[in-house]
Amino acid sequence: MTAPGTAPGSLLGAIGGVPRPETDVVVDARNVNKWFGRLHVLKDVSIQVKRQEVVVVIGPSGSGKTTFMRCINHLEKIQSGRIFVNGRLIGYREAGSGKLVEDKEKNIALQRQEIGMVFQRFNLFPHMTALENIIEAPIQVRGTPREEAVAVGRALLDRVGLAAKESVYPNQLSGGQQQRIAIARALAMKPALMLFDEPTSALDPEMIGEVLEVMKELAREGMTMIVVSHEMGFAREVANRVVMMDDGVVVEEGTPDQVFSSPKQDRTKVFLSKIL
Amino acid sequence: MTASLFSRSGTRRALLVGCLVLVALTVSGCSKTYSVRPQFFWDSLFHPSPAIVNGLGLTLGISVVAQFLGVILGVFAALGKMAKFRPFRTIANIYIWVFRGTPLLVQLSFFFYGFATAGLFKWPTVTSGPIYILPEVLAGTVILGVNEGAYMAEIVRAGILAVDPGQTEAAKSLGMTYGQTMRRIVLPQAARVIVPPLGNEFNNMLKTTSLLSVLSVMELYNTFSVAAGNSFASFELFAAAAVWYLLLTTIWGLVQSRIERRLARGTATGSSGPSGPQGPGWRNRFFGRQYYDASASGLGGH
Repeated sequence: MTAPGTAPGSLLGAIGGVPRPETDVVVDARNVNKWFGRLHVLKDVSIQVKRQEVVVVIGPSGSGKTTFMRCINHLEKIQSGRIFVNGRLIGYREAGSGKLVEDKEKNIALQRQEIGMVFQRFNLFPHMTALENIIEAPIQVRGTPREEAVAVGRALLDRVGLAAKESVYPNQLSGGQQQRIAIARALAMKPALMLFDEPTSALDPEMIGEVLEVMKELAREGMTMIVVSHEMGFAREVANRVVMMDDGVVVEEGTPDQVFSSPKQDRTKVFLSKIL
Repeated sequence: MTASLFSRSGTRRALLVGCLVLVALTVSGCSKTYSVRPQFFWDSLFHPSPAIVNGLGLTLGISVVAQFLGVILGVFAALGKMAKFRPFRTIANIYIWVFRGTPLLVQLSFFFYGFATAGLFKWPTVTSGPIYILPEVLAGTVILGVNEGAYMAEIVRAGILAVDPGQTEAAKSLGMTYGQTMRRIVLPQAARVIVPPLGNEFNNMLKTTSLLSVLSVMELYNTFSVAAGNSFASFELFAAAAVWYLLLTTIWGLVQSRIERRLARGTATGSSGPSGPQGPGWRNRFFGRQYYDASASGLGGH
């Protein structure tokens, strides 16, 4: 089951190795614009994420970072620009005159299978046990045989340190445990890309570490990740790139060291001084 | 005498006295013009005739089928009302508007007698193996169900809206389609909100079937009504009919509370499911899930 180059005890080993994105550039967002009514929340945002890259997006609240993340799997519509994941346009198809037409719901669902997402508030399914949460989408969406899904689900639970909790309902778990299961749930779909939307900001301080550990492990094993987070330690340790957004614009991007230690833009300096 | 009693004592006591006077009047009135024959009452409860048993079965059967139909239609009407596609919304809204805005009695008469008289549609007799359904029973059940669907639509819609939007987003982000999201994620959670009012709807349904007497359906009420017409024992027989209905609704009440407890699985107040610690229910109810978990399995110790 384990793909070459993946340690047997690793997270991605549990799902048969690093899922292979089909292209070198996994996410290619070009001049994305989005309005909420008259509020221009994304202004010509262009970001590229390469295979096995970990990109951390920072910025003050209301800067559009979460909205941008949600556009990548089309939980939000965009008004202009293009977002390609795995080389395929997300959420839309090109109409003749260069206009975008929203894609069929079925196609959007198909594309989302390749994009795992972890939410700030976990959003585990409360009527299902930990294991049922994880095997639900593989069985329903991918059509994986139940025994196989259960085996993968158990392996994932083991890797996130929650093997003992497989038949426990989410309301009996701590926030940190719920978030780790949410990560396992997303991984069970063997996504080529993982999106993390402030995965630790709803957690009590003592539980942040356990979730970040899982995310770091995932990054080290070569998962392509976009993380909206203000966890500096995490960014310094595993991020290839930090993107600073403010007021719907990408203000600055660079390695964690460049952005955190010697920011070029004043807006970045002001923001960093506030969160440090 | 009565007036002076009212003015002197509190409202509650006055009401009590009023009730006693009313009962006394009824009984004394009865003794002059109407001789009560208690055996009609007791016999129809403890030795029910085949007609009564049949009526009971029909009432129960029609209620269950009509309610089932109502729930299905209610789900579709609720989804229609919330659809992005405008024609679906329009259809759902018209359906709800019409069936909630007209009396059930009129709907029954119109779709059974009205349609038959105009030659538009004659309800058929359904025979299939051991099943034999008279046209009026079929019509009554379907119309009751369609009427019920209009009421269920609002209940289902409220249930769906009560589910955290984050649930839909999580399901979508896993690649689930709209149908899968609804069926597997949203509706099971909405069910918890829907079941208590649904139970009340079914309680109503059990009693509302008596309106099918206008179609000459021999359900419980009509059976007693006919018997009362034949024997003139209206007092005893309708009292017995009331007791039968009371029995049905009471049993349903017990069933309902069991279902609600089962559905509470995985919520803050529910039992902990198949593998969790099963403690005495009162502890959960009085102190909540947290208390019980912390003391039983040490989950609280983070």
